Amino acid sequence: MSKLNFLTKDNVVLDLDAKNQKDAISQLSNVLYKNGILNDPKQFTEDVLKREQMTTTGIGKNMAIPHGKSPTVKVPSMVFAKNKRSLDWNSLDGSKVNMIFLMAVTTKPDSGKEHLKMLSHLSGKLMDDDFVAKLKKTNDKDEILKLLQN
Amino acid sequence: MAKIIAVTGCIAGIAHTYMAAANLKKFAKKNGDDIKVETQGAMGIENRLTPDDIKNADVVIFAVDTTVSEKERFEGKKTLEVGTSEVIKDGESVIKKATDLINS
Repeated sequence: MSKLNFLTKDNVVLDLDAKNQKDAISQLSNVLYKNGILNDPKQFTEDVLKREQMTTTGIGKNMAIPHGKSPTVKVPSMVFAKNKRSLDWNSLDGSKVNMIFLMAVTTKPDSGKEHLKMLSHLSGKLMDDDFVAKLKKTNDKDEILKLLQN
Repeated sequence: MAKIIAVTGCIAGIAHTYMAAANLKKFAKKNGDDIKVETQGAMGIENRLTPDDIKNADVVIFAVDTTVSEKERFEGKKTLEVGTSEVIKDGESVIKKATDLINS
């Protein structure tokens, strides 16, 4: 996988219909599984929820960035989703969440450095109000991909 | 204009480390302060603070949920220690607290 096709339309879900936080993480873990990113979506869901218990990943402005470092992950990747309804996420600013970035990272220190770099870069961009506003506004997969890849 | 240096780090080393770094830079810039941020994440230490960076800094921010690697480098410096969530939630007041510390 090259840097360019690291994120494709398979990594964007615009019609997620999750009932709650756990349901969202579970459904998106299945997307990562279908994308060939991990071996065991149930295990990954559990690992992400465990991480979630330590500190919230509801970072405010209706966004959450749940993530798991798990032995079941084959290659670092992510999936971005917009959920149909707003979910409770124990967010830092009390807001409900409808934009979710689920990140998956391997436990092997040296695998997929290039992808890790992209995930960390993307994390940083979530602090950019302009970027967030654009992401909120559009429901076009190509445009979202362009934003995420930039 | 204050000279701020910071170290960020979180549990998984993926997301919060880099969000905290970005938010510190954003609000330091807004405040007209100089800042350099070292990240201690899944890719190890990046943008490492040099002995000169540390020597010349007015204040150090540790935005960490874990322990700071090679913390002894910062001995004797004025230090503000916060969690990454605090920086992500309200970077502005963290920068303010740090600059307030300089003259205290």
